[in-house]
Amino acid sequence: MANRHAQFISRTILVRNGNVDEAARLLNRILGREGIFDQYRRTRYYEKPFQQRRRINYEKCKAIYNEDMGRKIQFIMRKNRVDPFPGCH
Amino acid sequence: MQTTIPSKSKDDRRIIQVANTRRDQGTDGEGTFNIDASIFEQKDVFPTEKMPNMLFNGIPFSKVPICNVRVSKNNTILTITDAVSGEVRLIRSCGIEGFKNTRKGTNVAAQATAQTFAAAAINKGYTNIRVRVRGLGPGRMSAIKGLQMAGMNIISVTDSTPVSWNPPRPRKARRL
Repeated sequence: MANRHAQFISRTILVRNGNVDEAARLLNRILGREGIFDQYRRTRYYEKPFQQRRRINYEKCKAIYNEDMGRKIQFIMRKNRVDPFPGCH
Repeated sequence: MQTTIPSKSKDDRRIIQVANTRRDQGTDGEGTFNIDASIFEQKDVFPTEKMPNMLFNGIPFSKVPICNVRVSKNNTILTITDAVSGEVRLIRSCGIEGFKNTRKGTNVAAQATAQTFAAAAINKGYTNIRVRVRGLGPGRMSAIKGLQMAGMNIISVTDSTPVSWNPPRPRKARRL
């Protein structure tokens, strides 16, 4: 059995003030962020080793690119620095 | 010949000190983790270990009937089961409802089914329920919405999609 967790404790969101839609969306968002839906979709059909290799390499490249681009954007967007125009003397 | 600006006053030294201290640039993964703050702002949405004994309209949480929603790409099946014995009390699917073939696998079908299902359930006396959703598909959100619209009191929403990180070999991929 692959999926043994405490029923109605884990993966459970309580509904507050009749806000069912919000609870369901929160649940979906958490599951999506944790990659549970991705894993579910991926295991519907067999992923051949070459596909797996390609996917993992692609994910690595994407993560590196995103991290770098994020840093660049943070650097451009940062404010409140001692020297407001670095490299302009 | 002087090439750097001399730091004479106390203020200048302070500025240099401030400039040289390593500051958090706000980049993820370096010194911080990106936690979705809005999730943790909300209180009382996650159950605790005391949950099974908490009362909802006089019934402990662990005794509240369960509404299982089985969602797949092509259909949505709703059942109400007894919390203690696990017996099925009521069952309904988009197919039973009258939607046939591809129309079964739509959110409209799921919502309509959920509404008639909820009406039947309320007739039988099941107003307070816990919802347990299983699988991914178009009916996932709309079935829950339908249950709510028909006037059921949903206490909690649970996901019980079977996900494994070391599954047996799945069927071969579809050729498109």
